[in-house]
Amino acid sequence: MTLTHLNQRGEAHMVDVADKPESRREASASGYIRMKPDTLALLSEGGLPKGDVLATARIAGIQAAKRTHELIPLCHALALSKVAVDFRLDEENSRVEVFASCRLNGRTGVEMEALTAVSVACLTLYDMCKAVDKDMEIGAIHLDTKHGGKSGNYQRQAPTSSTPIVTGEGMAGQVSVGARCDIDSACVRVKFLAELRERLGISELSLPLDSLPSADVGGLKAALVKRDARFARLTEGRVLCAVNQVMALDPTPITHDDEVAFFPPVTGG
Amino acid sequence: MIRVQQAPFDAGEEQRYLLAGRTDIGAVVSFTGLVRDFNERPDVTALSLEHYPGMTEAALGEIVSEAEARWPLQGVCVIHRVGRLAPGDPIVLVVVASAHRRPAFEACDFIMDYLKTRAPFWKKEHSITGDYWVAERESDHRDAGRWESDNDNAS
Repeated sequence: MTLTHLNQRGEAHMVDVADKPESRREASASGYIRMKPDTLALLSEGGLPKGDVLATARIAGIQAAKRTHELIPLCHALALSKVAVDFRLDEENSRVEVFASCRLNGRTGVEMEALTAVSVACLTLYDMCKAVDKDMEIGAIHLDTKHGGKSGNYQRQAPTSSTPIVTGEGMAGQVSVGARCDIDSACVRVKFLAELRERLGISELSLPLDSLPSADVGGLKAALVKRDARFARLTEGRVLCAVNQVMALDPTPITHDDEVAFFPPVTGG
Repeated sequence: MIRVQQAPFDAGEEQRYLLAGRTDIGAVVSFTGLVRDFNERPDVTALSLEHYPGMTEAALGEIVSEAEARWPLQGVCVIHRVGRLAPGDPIVLVVVASAHRRPAFEACDFIMDYLKTRAPFWKKEHSITGDYWVAERESDHRDAGRWESDNDNAS
């Protein structure tokens, strides 16, 4: 991967987009400006000295998107077909959230325009409110989505990357073992690992053994699907299974207090 | 020796440890796997490795036993890391010692092929454009299949 704004000698240059095909390009970005609760109350009541704060910030954001190429050195001037700037007053966190989306049919992406719109809308909010609050803080300006173009679609993930993969009582990068049955009668302990855990949204559960139509892996799958349709995923594609940590198939028998794990194909090494 | 750990390892140190005090070993082959900064997507910024404690050690033990049954080996060390790793970090180490080079080369290759297709590790890659779980590779299964076609290839 290379930085497209650097040429082979590492110098900044503008990318020639003349030969790129035109396509529908969309991008959305967001950010926020945090302020004192009193400032936010004044803003929502329209009691600030400079007048209608949000309407002004909206126009500022739209204007900024159109003039992004004047601010960011290697950006192309674009004939945007749509710029929208929206606000949400977040009283719980005492801040104004700013959203911007841009669209065009063209040869370059519009994420810089959306990010610029959010940035300048936030700065305008600061300017409009600074007479009563100088502690305001602008933050978390980021791209949310991007569609079209060679690099394809982008959807920002929830910021989970900083949290290690942990399930149950395990350490980072591990899965806990030996969790007890949380049912009094005979039961089977089921674990879902790695991507399967994330897709199903569950890491472990216990099931009464007598809820299985047959006391084997196939019966366990049927009982899980009956319990919740999302477990149909266990019967789709390549899902592997281990009973008491030994690879198993649908006919593998299950007895009381067995540990059954479902997981995707392995990818270590 | 089989270890699953979060901490980095020193391949040189592990090899010295395996060979310490031995004069019957004529060949030692060491393989270290590293985190690449590109894979399914460019710009991989980190990797999270998850495993299934208990089963992982058992599966690795079985792979090493099978290698020992196929080739005359005088020492095997397998270390696999878990948790969050950065590009350039070592992930996996396989050191195989034998009296002669051929069994050492082949057994090391065999252990890595089986490790990639049988040991319960899962990689999640963190890239600039988002996080995703790494998909299994058909080529890894083909590589592992090479050892099944001629079962008795000890030499």
